[in-house]
Amino acid sequence: MTTPRPWALRFAQRVMLWLIPVAVLWIAITPFYNRFLTQSAENLVRLTERPSVTRLQIKDTHYFVITRSDLPASQGFLDSVRVTDTHFPLLMLGAFFLAVPGIPWRRRLENLGWAVLIAIFFHIFSLFLWVKFIYATQLGDWSLENYGPLARNVWGLSKHLADLPFKLALPILLWAAFYFRELTGRPAPARTPRGKKKRRS
Amino acid sequence: MPESPHDQSNPKSSDEPGADAGFFQTYRQEIGFIAIFVVILAGGFTLISWTPVNDHVIEPFTGGIAHASGIALNLIGQGIDKNGTVLRNERFAVNIRNGCNGVETMIIFLAAVLAFPAPWKARLVGLAFGILAIQAVNLLRVVALFLTGAYAPDFFDSSHTVVWQTIVILSGVLLWVFWANRFASPRPATATE
Repeated sequence: MTTPRPWALRFAQRVMLWLIPVAVLWIAITPFYNRFLTQSAENLVRLTERPSVTRLQIKDTHYFVITRSDLPASQGFLDSVRVTDTHFPLLMLGAFFLAVPGIPWRRRLENLGWAVLIAIFFHIFSLFLWVKFIYATQLGDWSLENYGPLARNVWGLSKHLADLPFKLALPILLWAAFYFRELTGRPAPARTPRGKKKRRS
Repeated sequence: MPESPHDQSNPKSSDEPGADAGFFQTYRQEIGFIAIFVVILAGGFTLISWTPVNDHVIEPFTGGIAHASGIALNLIGQGIDKNGTVLRNERFAVNIRNGCNGVETMIIFLAAVLAFPAPWKARLVGLAFGILAIQAVNLLRVVALFLTGAYAPDFFDSSHTVVWQTIVILSGVLLWVFWANRFASPRPATATE
């Protein structure tokens, strides 16, 4: 008679297995996703400036470079950011969500879809913070003229928090939000069928 | 999840979510976990970014990591010269900085353990073993990255930012999952109405 393996061990084994197909998919979509994120981050930055002068251009697949139309073109690009580094935790996110044992496929994919959607918004916002951080702290005299000490600290700390702790912790945060009950062994909440309202007695 | 010991000991606690319970009532443990996790995470990273903490705690700690990595690399015949946080031999040199010292993963692990509903003794044991294990994985990472830089430099960038960062974080998260699944504290049963 075999004893069932503990839930956590099954989960860990499945995470390792899922990492491979998720990594293949992530590598395949990265060039397109980088372009999408660059365009979205540019739109977000331009929404916050008057006049809208920022241009983000993809370079070498993995980077974007920042230019501003109000600064001399002879200056070239102002700085570059490695976009791929912003979203590689998608590898963990995908593997975690697909590896949960004992959950029907449909629910796993549904939860993964929501988690990826939240992650996409986070990636766009994170790149927006990168650009603001560069404007506020990395452009020497221009930064000092246009950003005060408080703004420099706020953009610097925000970018630091988004780029390290929250970027790296996002997969575990989202996973815990969706699968806390599976982890703790508590029963799942009762689901009311769509379109049916429960009658109160 | 019949494997969970807590299912067998307390299968029908009063905490069982009823369809009539409000969202916050139904998901209060999840919300509590996420809120505490985010506060500890943001607080921890803000604290280590503060210059006095960085200079007096993080930098010496990173120096210790560099020292241990230098010893490990010398044990496998790399002939390392150490200068502060810089490790160098005739083929390659690395400067071990914040982000390479495992502190990020330690703070994520700490936040997850402290936010999780478990007895304090279990938390302390989890933290002690978890932090040691994370530092062991991080030591392996520094050694592997140095060897990658020395013998396969084309792969260094991807290894540094994607592969090993993923491995170190993944190890921290899986350690937490093992710990949490083992120590998930059953909520005390209350009298039924």
